Amino acid sequence: MAVYTQLLVRRYLSTRIIPLIAVAAVGLCVALVVIVVSVMSGFLDNLRASGRTLMGDVVISYPVQGIPYYKEFIADVLKLPGAAAATPLVDTYGLLRMPYPGGPNKDVVTAQVWAIEPETFSQVTELDRTIWWKPAASPQEALAMAEDDPRRQQDLSGLYEDAKVLRERATDRPGALLGMHVSIVNQRQRDGSYRPRNSMWWMPNHEITVTLVPISEKGTVSQSNSRVFKVVNEVMSGVFQVDKNRVFIPLKEGQELLRLDEAPIVDTTAVPDASGNYPVIGTSPARATQILVRAKEGVTPDELRVQVAEAYEQFYLQKSADESVRTRPPAAEYVSIMTWEQRLRDLIAPVEKERQMMRILFSITYLVCAGLILAIFWSIVSEKTRDIGILRAIGASRMGVLWIFLRYGLTIGMVGSGVGIALAWLVIRNINAIHMALGNDAPPWLYVTFFLLAAGSAALTVRALTRSRILSVLLWTVATLALVGIGTGLVLHRGFLIWDPAVYYFATIPSEMDWGNAWITAVGAIVFSVLGAAVPAARAADIDPVRALRYE
Amino acid sequence: MTMHPHSTPPHAAEGVLLSACDVVRTYRMGRVEVPVLKNASIDVKPGEWVAILGSSGSGKSTLLHLLGGLDRADSGTVTFRGEHVGGYSQSRLDRYRNEHIGFVFQFYHLLPELNVLENTLLPATIGIGRFEWMRRQGEIRDRARMLLERFGLSHRFRHRPAELSGGERQRVAIARALMHNPDVLLADEPTGNLDAKTGDTILDMIAEQHRAGLTVVMVTHDQWIAARADRTVHLVDGRVA
Ligand SMILES: Nc1ncnc2c1ncn2[C@@H]1O[C@H](COP(=O)(O)OP(=O)(O)O)[C@@H](O)[C@H]1O
Ligand SMILES: [Mg+2]
Repeated sequence: MAVYTQLLVRRYLSTRIIPLIAVAAVGLCVALVVIVVSVMSGFLDNLRASGRTLMGDVVISYPVQGIPYYKEFIADVLKLPGAAAATPLVDTYGLLRMPYPGGPNKDVVTAQVWAIEPETFSQVTELDRTIWWKPAASPQEALAMAEDDPRRQQDLSGLYEDAKVLRERATDRPGALLGMHVSIVNQRQRDGSYRPRNSMWWMPNHEITVTLVPISEKGTVSQSNSRVFKVVNEVMSGVFQVDKNRVFIPLKEGQELLRLDEAPIVDTTAVPDASGNYPVIGTSPARATQILVRAKEGVTPDELRVQVAEAYEQFYLQKSADESVRTRPPAAEYVSIMTWEQRLRDLIAPVEKERQMMRILFSITYLVCAGLILAIFWSIVSEKTRDIGILRAIGASRMGVLWIFLRYGLTIGMVGSGVGIALAWLVIRNINAIHMALGNDAPPWLYVTFFLLAAGSAALTVRALTRSRILSVLLWTVATLALVGIGTGLVLHRGFLIWDPAVYYFATIPSEMDWGNAWITAVGAIVFSVLGAAVPAARAADIDPVRALRYE
Repeated sequence: MTMHPHSTPPHAAEGVLLSACDVVRTYRMGRVEVPVLKNASIDVKPGEWVAILGSSGSGKSTLLHLLGGLDRADSGTVTFRGEHVGGYSQSRLDRYRNEHIGFVFQFYHLLPELNVLENTLLPATIGIGRFEWMRRQGEIRDRARMLLERFGLSHRFRHRPAELSGGERQRVAIARALMHNPDVLLADEPTGNLDAKTGDTILDMIAEQHRAGLTVVMVTHDQWIAARADRTVHLVDGRVA
């Protein structure tokens, strides 16, 4: 590598504006692709994580009637090589009588009620993590919260412990956990925290009445049952549909309300005894409508599903063969055993579609960026055709000429990629703050700054006018108009939010950088920069030096 | 080496440094063939200053490019110290231009991004490798400064070509051509873009180098300028007369 190539690359880079434009173009392209891909794949990761957060890896479900002897079946499941934890639950729809408004006529809302065993449920899902009203994990986290955040103002450790056992421990009353948006009380703040609309109605201070309707074996509706639960906490899974509808109560209470608890079986054909009771001939076992299973580390949901399905088959055969068992579990073909992905297909399918759309859009973006880089380098090298002729006339080799422009492209590609990744990182890390800022009206200091800059630019326009520099006048006029335009836009700007949690399932925009993709994009940009420089440079190296010298 | 009948001219004994023998160069413009040089021959002896006089478009530049190894003849030979330049490999040809030839052009042809000193150093930085550069850098830079000082450019080292007058630019171009101590200076209308007075000083500089022993081939369409040379040949109708 000769000395002159290094010298020329340095001079070409440092004395001209066009490499800056090229660096900016490469950087913006890289940033664009990295930001969009990161947000999109963060979104899919969230969806994936939410599967585990909400329902573990595999769900065994037999609605309404429920699966009897589920404790034995869970014991079988826990022996499976792929299962890490399992938990029973009863799910149904019910009515909630809310504490508000004041007076006798309270709001009643419908909700999806999940009756759970909180300890095992937390092993399968991440219920603990989603409990909202809890003390800050660290002093730093507490300091990061707003002053008026209830999580900072109050000692919530008691409430948190209550939530973990779904019971108000002081009075031993059964507790209920509400999804964050089940009540109308919680208002989301710009920083993502919540405040009660009216502190009087802060839900953990209140009780709700849950009304559930048992369904008989014949499929008819029986007398509904109600019970009062102390609201022990609220949960925020981040999946809007869930946070809007779900309520957790203890399994025992749920089973009782739905008459799925253990009960004696009486012979109504026999003669009742003196007090009018029929003779007891057996026990109807308690039931669970769903069993959630979590896979061990390294076991895929699909592998676990196969194991669980096999275990259920065994369980069914064993119970059917046992003469002493009066209540048989449903046969395997009636029980749905699915991975969380299969269960959430309705939610995932559109996202997958969107992802395919995004892939196509990315390919186009990549191509456009590559074309842009190619075009910029083409013009840079064409402009240097005569220099190439001069260099050849004083003895530079074709490889030397080629090498100059390859290094040039390589440098611009690397600097541009670095700038792009840094920019993408900044934007992604602050994407929620940026989104929130868009949601607010612009602060006065911002548009005042723009107007001041516009005034400065106008002054420079006048100065250029007095010196009669047409290009400067033109450029400064454009700059002045642009700055005034931005300032006026900011004054007129009224906050709007693009990311509506009701539409996008998740409450916040994913803000994790997808580093794998970022590196691939950066390397791609460098390759395209080098290629973009190489094609015209190779052409230039091929040019007859005499022609290049005559080139004007 | 191809043995062309003229590759060892009869007067080789007297010492011919650079010669063209029966060179033909034809340009194609679409379907039309434009013959520019038709069996042109010229011999240049060491230490000689030859002027090639011809009207505009007569092929003077083309002949100079052939002599300097920038272009290849369709037929005929160019010989340098008895060696057939047309038979050189690409890298040998690059070295020939770098070490033995110094070009000076009508439009100066300096690199706009490099300053005066860097432009002057260019042949040295092209011709030698990184290690030799590191070893001999000081000596090479001294030579460039010495040349520029001799041409009255000592206060211009850090200036860009755009900041110089035409005469100053041409002086930098000559300094660059002389940087590597070439055997032949090929000057293509070196004063063509300058006023008469400035042109004279440029010619004075060339004359001074010539007196110091440099072989010069200069192309011009002006017979008064050609008169400064030892010998003038005419390029008419693609031939040297
Ligand atoms: N690359 C080319 N293609 C076609 N014609 C050319 C090319 N280069 C030069 N010519 C033609 O060849 C002729 C001689 O050119 P040139 O050697 O530059 O003449 P001079 O230097 O004597 O003015 C001119 O007519 C010119 O138009
Ligand atoms: Mg010419």
